[in-house]
Amino acid sequence: MKNNMLNIKKRKAPSYIGPLIALIIVIIIVGLTTDRFFTPGNLRNLMLQVSIVSLVAIGSTLVIIAGGIDLSPGSAIALLTMILASMIKFLGISAPFAIILIVIMGALLGFWNGVLTAHLRIPSFVTTLASMTIFRGFAFLFNNGSPIFSISDTLTEIFYGKILGIPYVFFYVFFFFILFSLIMRYTELGREIYAVGGNAAAARFSGINVKKTVVMSFIFAGVMASFGSVLMAARLNSGSPNYGVGMELSAIAAAVVGGASLGGGKGDIIATFFGASIITIVHNGLNLHAMPTSVQNIVIGMIIIFAVFIDMWRRELGDIFSRLISRRTKS
Amino acid sequence: MNEIKELLWELKNVTKVFPGVKAINNLSLKIYSSEVHGMIGENGSGKSTIVKCLSGVYQPTSGKIFYRGNPIVIHNPMMACSLGVATIYQELSLVPSLTVAENIYIGRLPRKERFPFIVDWQEIVKKSLVILKKLGIDLDPLNIVADLSIAQQQMVEIAKALSRNANLIIMDEPSAAIGMEETKRLHEIVLNMAMQGYGIIYITHRLDELSVMDCVTVLKDGEVVGDRAKGRINVKEIVNLMIGHDVKEHYPKQINQTNDTLLTVSDIYTKKGINGVSFTVHQGEVFGLAGSIGSGRTEIGHAIFGIDDITDGSIKLQNCQVVMTKDKFTTPREAIKCGVALLTENRKYNGLFMNFNGVNNVSIAKLKKIVHRGILDLNKEEIFAKEYIDKLKITPTAVEQSVEFLSGGNQQKVIIARWMFCEANIFILDEPTQGIDIGAKVEVYRLINDITSHGKGVIFISSDFEELLAMSDRIGIVNKGKIIAVKEVKNINKKYLIEKAFVNQV
Ligand SMILES: Nc1ncnc2c1ncn2[C@@H]1O[C@H](COP(=O)(O)OP(=O)(O)OP(=O)(O)O)[C@@H](O)[C@H]1O
Ligand SMILES: [Mg+2]
Repeated sequence: MKNNMLNIKKRKAPSYIGPLIALIIVIIIVGLTTDRFFTPGNLRNLMLQVSIVSLVAIGSTLVIIAGGIDLSPGSAIALLTMILASMIKFLGISAPFAIILIVIMGALLGFWNGVLTAHLRIPSFVTTLASMTIFRGFAFLFNNGSPIFSISDTLTEIFYGKILGIPYVFFYVFFFFILFSLIMRYTELGREIYAVGGNAAAARFSGINVKKTVVMSFIFAGVMASFGSVLMAARLNSGSPNYGVGMELSAIAAAVVGGASLGGGKGDIIATFFGASIITIVHNGLNLHAMPTSVQNIVIGMIIIFAVFIDMWRRELGDIFSRLISRRTKS
Repeated sequence: MNEIKELLWELKNVTKVFPGVKAINNLSLKIYSSEVHGMIGENGSGKSTIVKCLSGVYQPTSGKIFYRGNPIVIHNPMMACSLGVATIYQELSLVPSLTVAENIYIGRLPRKERFPFIVDWQEIVKKSLVILKKLGIDLDPLNIVADLSIAQQQMVEIAKALSRNANLIIMDEPSAAIGMEETKRLHEIVLNMAMQGYGIIYITHRLDELSVMDCVTVLKDGEVVGDRAKGRINVKEIVNLMIGHDVKEHYPKQINQTNDTLLTVSDIYTKKGINGVSFTVHQGEVFGLAGSIGSGRTEIGHAIFGIDDITDGSIKLQNCQVVMTKDKFTTPREAIKCGVALLTENRKYNGLFMNFNGVNNVSIAKLKKIVHRGILDLNKEEIFAKEYIDKLKITPTAVEQSVEFLSGGNQQKVIIARWMFCEANIFILDEPTQGIDIGAKVEVYRLINDITSHGKGVIFISSDFEELLAMSDRIGIVNKGKIIAVKEVKNINKKYLIEKAFVNQV
């Protein structure tokens, strides 16, 4: 055995390196082709743009790692903005207290998804597809289905506020990404989520409570959707049953571009942030080039395919790459 | 009958390198028709890699492959198939929900002559019957594959290969997951096929299978260390070539049996076919379970471990740190907490986490051991897991590499390491030596000694009655969900076990 081991002594690179490199390339391209990209205004704008979708994408990533998929956060956001707006504006509940209630409700929505999926053994694609419709349906029950405007000025401060010139949202995003990447790496629950997504049968035989783990992943997703809804309501100082349309897909796209595998068991929280950033910056770059939305959508779609392609054929590509190099060095 | 042996395939100086490992090294090999070509070697010696080079899954890093004397590059599995190579992997690739006949003709269902868009079902059944008969397999083509045993599914795979006009049939450890009687049957079919002119590559870890081979290639560290034709096959010499030294004791049994009861199983029933099973396991004892596949031996393990619900009867565990709330375990989690470990017989399906490296696979069943104030201590995890990886002589690449890329034997050892890591009190080992090499088998036997010498108990399930007799203290014979006899091993022999285990079986 020993003479067989080529002396390659290298640590495996962390899994967010690929997406990070892709992000840097995207930044360079957009930075070089436009002159407004690196202006403080644009960068701040980018941060505000990426914040909501990236927080929601944390939840989507957890669910994907656990082997499921969550199609409901967009609708959950619509419902929760309506509830938040109603609570503050019509019931006179103070903003901080209302936010706490919203987060609890977000957890409950996730719990609902999780219980349906884990205990009734309905595939999560179906349960969350149903929830997507149901949550949005409920959102329209508030205020006769009309948006609620000008909720409160203290609320907008949550989104637009700054400390030392840095927007608050930067700290939210930073906090949650660090928190969840630590949870996934350094807690039993995190490890169990990876295990369940990797092989649910083996997880059960290893003494893991598979149902509980799946439910927890959905609860986290619900909580992250609730934070997304709070930021959304604060940003627009309103609640609307039409908010968050397509948000679930953007969040899933961020996870996938970050290298999460829809087969389960694979994914990285930090990489999801890079995934979300890539998508947002590409949008931004195309905007700066005055490309219409239609083109933007097409480009984003291509990026998703490209990301999955790289991921699936990573080993083969590596093979071809190393063969090319060895040929080069031989001749 | 076809007595002329033709050269089908030749590998010349083939090398295959994976990142960090040379799986085969400058290897040359000739494969002829009309013979059973055995391949034997330690875990990770490169047997499966050779197979995958021939079946188009991998491309050799260097070296040439010749087909009937002509150099050829096998670009993909489809091409290998059209060149007449059929590979039967250990994980079978049938569609469980379809019938035998459909599986045989999948992808090439014959059509009605006059209406080419309509499948000719009668024709499929008729043709399937012809092939099955040619092989001497007694199977109804209309059976659903999911209802067949592993051994029968293997037969369907063989039939499928023949229907595709294969000339070389490669079997990677076909006997690992089937019982004794089924193996005998398989040998008959393999010999029959060789007589009909097929070339066969037969990979195994079981030395008692050398008798089916016309020649055997012994591999070590990716190189051929010996080639022996029939008549010159000497078991002792082959072992020596394979692992580089003699195995003095194939079964290093240590007697640690005591009279203190560890586990009492009283008259348990489950919906999975256990009908009143009672036995006890003592501290330091190896309690063997002998039975045919499907006799219920695996299900007894599942019942104790909390996988299958026990509908009646009880389990009592002495030395249990945790108070058992009921007289059974309702989940594996409870069982593990009380010090029960179950090594399952199907490591791919419910053992391995392919998304984890070896270290994470070892620690997963008892993360508590590496948790410090609610946080996983990853350094501690690596140190602890490495200890077991070294102890079980698992390849060091397992530390960082996904277990997906480990050889079958190393994968098995990783799961054994998992349960050693759990420091269980009672180990239920379901076919623990399945697919592992002779050296590693002896390691497993030593581990069993190690377990029993600390006063822990082992329930040992195996289709290999020889090892069962050699390593157990007492054996319970399982037949149709019941233990029909419990005997001290010194009072029984293999013949007795076979008689008892296979009576009343169809
Ligand atoms: N895809 C892969 N990537 C990396 N290493 C691999 C890969 N496939 C095989 N190896 C390595 O190549 C070596 C040979 O493996 P192989 O599966 O051919 O062994 P084997 O003789 O079939 O063993 P076993 O009897 O355990 O099945 C092993 O060290 C294994 O870890
Ligand atoms: Mg192998």
